[in-house]
Amino acid sequence: MAEAADKPKVKVRFYRFHNRLKEKAAGAAGYKGTGEIPAELLAKAEEALEQMSEDYPDWVSKLVDRLGDQHRRCVDTPEKRRTYFEELRSIAHDMRGQGGTFGYPLISEMAESLYQFTGPSSGMSDNHVEIIKAHVDAMRVVIKNRIKGDGGEMGTQLMKSLHAAIKKYEGRG
Amino acid sequence: MAQYDLDRFSVLVVEDNLFIRSLIGNSLKTLGVGRLFTCEDGGDAINFLKLVKEDPMKAGTMSIDIIVSDWQMSPVDGMMLLRWVRRHKDSTDRFIPFIMITAFSESERVAEARELGVTEFLSKPFSIEAVWKKIISVIDRPRQFVHTSTYFGPDRRRQQIPFDGPDRRVLTEKSPEVEIIHG
Repeated sequence: MAEAADKPKVKVRFYRFHNRLKEKAAGAAGYKGTGEIPAELLAKAEEALEQMSEDYPDWVSKLVDRLGDQHRRCVDTPEKRRTYFEELRSIAHDMRGQGGTFGYPLISEMAESLYQFTGPSSGMSDNHVEIIKAHVDAMRVVIKNRIKGDGGEMGTQLMKSLHAAIKKYEGRG
Repeated sequence: MAQYDLDRFSVLVVEDNLFIRSLIGNSLKTLGVGRLFTCEDGGDAINFLKLVKEDPMKAGTMSIDIIVSDWQMSPVDGMMLLRWVRRHKDSTDRFIPFIMITAFSESERVAEARELGVTEFLSKPFSIEAVWKKIISVIDRPRQFVHTSTYFGPDRRRQQIPFDGPDRRVLTEKSPEVEIIHG
């Protein structure tokens, strides 16, 4: 047992397994090259994504309605604003990750901004609530007009007026 | 170049957002993934993975080949799921490829997931091309797993880049402190 005692303790272990997934995918055992997913499947998947993108404005308008509801509650019941802000933030989080995927990066951008304005350290004054309303209104315009991509001139104008509204109400604290 | 057939693959998608969940699900199915399982948050996923281990008949699969998980979910997020998969004694397969979907671009959060042993990142918004590229990468370029006192997960060094400076690594593959396990 002297040998075992002398042997230094293992500090690093490397695990090297044969590539089971590749065997599953390529079939042939010992297959060495790289592979790909058949082009026709990719095309089909792109098509399915396209199809879902068409449903996206309907889906997202429900979320914007929920944002609108929460905003109204912030106005009606100011003492519960913290709870409503959390809900707003959670909806905004979902939206910021989706918009771009479905061709609506403006929605993602606006949702990201709303997410930042509803954080735990954000203020909850009436002016903050107005900023929330400005976001909801801007999103409604994007959806109503199906403004895809950066929205060109209209998109630029929309973001400009959102930023102007933020600046106006932020200045008031 | 071989054409891959994913019909024998079982993939678990963990995402709290219904729209994104069905989007990823549909995309994977259309790309040929044979069996698709979905969970709404990390806790749900842990329960499902336990079921696969304890009662595969009931779970509907003998194993899961790849996990695709969102990061920010409630109550159990993607990081907690990843930690469970890589480190918990009840984990069914601590070596399973784990693709983390993330809306965060902050590098420190990405570093955090790397330290916990993530395999790949898929950042939102994503395209079909991005999804299949990650799947192909998992299949074609698996990395050895490294187990040290502070880390367990895929080798964070993805490539061998020539380096002119002195080699400060204390241990090499030949060192007695290093054990290589083949399987």
